[in-house]
Amino acid sequence: MESSTDVFFREVLGERAPVADQLAKIHALAWEVVDPSLLDLCRLRIAMLLGCESELGISNSDLDSQKIASLSQWSSSNSFNECEKSCLRFTEEFIVDVSSIPDSSAFTVRDHLGEEGFVNFVNALLVVEQRIRLQVVWRKIFQEVSA
Amino acid sequence: MTRSQRVTSSNFNSGFRESLSLWQEEVVQLGLVDPVTTEVVRLRCAEHHDCYT
Repeated sequence: MESSTDVFFREVLGERAPVADQLAKIHALAWEVVDPSLLDLCRLRIAMLLGCESELGISNSDLDSQKIASLSQWSSSNSFNECEKSCLRFTEEFIVDVSSIPDSSAFTVRDHLGEEGFVNFVNALLVVEQRIRLQVVWRKIFQEVSA
Repeated sequence: MTRSQRVTSSNFNSGFRESLSLWQEEVVQLGLVDPVTTEVVRLRCAEHHDCYT
């Protein structure tokens, strides 16, 4: 079943269905190749940083509400394990400037997830990030057009 | 910024990588932006993401 975000993308893309189809396909694959709870944490953090309200109201895993509530203080919180913290650090650096992620951040994630897990995580992060950035821009444009 | 090689192989999960490529191919084939601008943006993004494929 399509999510509300998938429906929104189809509305925006209109007759350009192949683009919407491929985006939906890679998004589904992203959640298959990475632990959904881990990716959901990172997705929510991206949504917070980019101000994507529509993503903040969605849950793609069984994350508990306390963990979500302390997500903005992940670095000092005891609610997150070291693997989650390394992935959240990488995610924030990825969002701010993907070309300036320090080796130390990348290697820490790789150590936790393994090489294949690290590659899958980065690819999944790319999909989630692009999808959220598209939402932020397109929802803003549609609001202005319809106002 | 100097970066080390971070993985020894990128030959993981070829299905996911192929799907990512298909999505990008569909995007650059959209006709709403002229081909030169599309290519400039594509190359800039590839450089920024260290993508040499």
